[in-house]
Amino acid sequence: MTNSGRLRAFIAVGLLPTLFIYAVFVLVPIVWSAYYGFFDWKGIGASKFIGFDNYAEALGDPIFWRAFKNNLIIVAASIFGQLPIALVLSLILRKSTFFQRFVRSAVFMPMVVASVVIGMIWGYIYHPQIGILNFLLEQFGLGSWIRDWLGDPSINMYAVSAPVIWANIGPYLVLFIAAIQNISSEVEDAAKIDGAVKSKWLYMIVVPMIWDTIKVAIVLCISGSLKAFDLIYIMTGGGPAQSTELLATYMYNNTFEVFRYGYGSAVSTLIILISMVLVLGSQLLMRRKQ
Amino acid sequence: MTTDGSLAHKAGPAQNAGRPALSRPFKPKWAWLSNLVLLIYALLTLYPLLWLFLSSFKTNQEFFGKPFALPSTWHFDNYKRAWEIAGIGPAFLNSVIVTLSAIVLTLFLGTLTAYVVSRMNFRFKGLVMSLFVAGMLIPIHSTLVPLFIMMNEFGILDTYASLILPYAAFELPVAIFVVGAYLTSVPKDLEEASMIDGNGYWGTFFRVVAPLAVPAMATIFILGFLRFWNDFAFALVFINNQALKTLPLSLSVFSDGYGTDYSLTTAAMSIAVIPTIVIYLIFQEQIMKGMVAGSVKG
Repeated sequence: MTNSGRLRAFIAVGLLPTLFIYAVFVLVPIVWSAYYGFFDWKGIGASKFIGFDNYAEALGDPIFWRAFKNNLIIVAASIFGQLPIALVLSLILRKSTFFQRFVRSAVFMPMVVASVVIGMIWGYIYHPQIGILNFLLEQFGLGSWIRDWLGDPSINMYAVSAPVIWANIGPYLVLFIAAIQNISSEVEDAAKIDGAVKSKWLYMIVVPMIWDTIKVAIVLCISGSLKAFDLIYIMTGGGPAQSTELLATYMYNNTFEVFRYGYGSAVSTLIILISMVLVLGSQLLMRRKQ
Repeated sequence: MTTDGSLAHKAGPAQNAGRPALSRPFKPKWAWLSNLVLLIYALLTLYPLLWLFLSSFKTNQEFFGKPFALPSTWHFDNYKRAWEIAGIGPAFLNSVIVTLSAIVLTLFLGTLTAYVVSRMNFRFKGLVMSLFVAGMLIPIHSTLVPLFIMMNEFGILDTYASLILPYAAFELPVAIFVVGAYLTSVPKDLEEASMIDGNGYWGTFFRVVAPLAVPAMATIFILGFLRFWNDFAFALVFINNQALKTLPLSLSVFSDGYGTDYSLTTAAMSIAVIPTIVIYLIFQEQIMKGMVAGSVKG
């Protein structure tokens, strides 16, 4: 009896502090943000219950939808930029020679660099006066291409997508390499005996065989688009004129720049809902395709 | 669900290394071309970082006058100036304090909980595990506002704790799954022997389980280090006090790019980046696999 009591005490001590910290700092905030979303609150003074007004206002705000569209641009840039590059690289880099390991390490390197630093480096690359990009264009006689990459609303979403792609290819590369190596060699030998050519081999064997991994990668691209906050915040802050606003910068600016805590909480809740819908929706879509 | 974490400890890419069949689809005569493309691609990826380090030794005139040249004289004193004038020294210290504290907390609680969930049975075990999984699907930035409001009410905003606790909270599920998966693969014999020897649960945990789990804990240590050291969003929202600012937060002051001291800024950026790159160069394989395993769950 005392023994099982000791076991129970050990289990309690092993679980409760972890559950406490986890619940207080991860789970409770989600419930609270849904709740605070019902209030008009400036952070100080009294808060006023206003029902669904904050949610309705966000959904009726064109800037909110532009931010949503910008998030989708990042998702598209990841899916159609990162995944094909990573897939092609993974086919070439499956072996483990010294050279291949070097390339793999190089591609992965930006992952360990703080996104603030990546944002600042790309800020210098795009800088209208001192930027390396415009400097290069000038040198190569492409002066007409020179522009304010981060300031021009017609192109700046694509400009900020480039570092997102550049920095995040590494994990997809490693993921695909691992998946390709799990394809059994009999499948491949059979394909070869049947005389499958290279391109066919890729489309008909590799892609279907690692389809599950590709699905995971697409979900990662979707959830990763929300993490682009740091990079965009450093490079443009969501500007100019909210042209590069993302859902996360929209939430940040409304809460901490104009101090609308209730509204910011409502937007936070919408971000969670949107990302859940996108992730689940993409999985349903891909299941049907299969 | 615990099987996810085991990815970090499988042999991974190495396990089928040297299997010749897979290299066939690319004929040898194209090999040099694909290698050339690969080399260019790798250099394209590395160049921005190389540019950063080279720029950090230049003068301001050289920075925008000759962006691609090597520094004419290597100004090591840029680093000294960044450390002192730009206040990078205290920020570095803050980053060390916050990162290490969060890692210790994550490792201790994560390993303890992983031991409990992988070896013991209790009511609501399924529920507890699904809670940890659910948390990993939450976009981290959507918790900024409610966390800010909550910590403001607790009065821990603008303290080290306002970073350490949320860092640990978000990393704990990863730690539990990775260490838990590792422990599941380890035979129970040693623990049982230790229990029979009368070590008790705590003695067994500290003397047998924790030492056994060191490889998995090392993965969590490295991933946690990179994540906490590089974090910007939490520090931006929860820290206001100049004296408590971490490295990424201090750097963001320079991000505007107009009218700043470029040699100072690039030196400060290099100081922030060097520790993570050194860690990366030492633990590459572990980091690659660990990050993939961690992000697959996130």
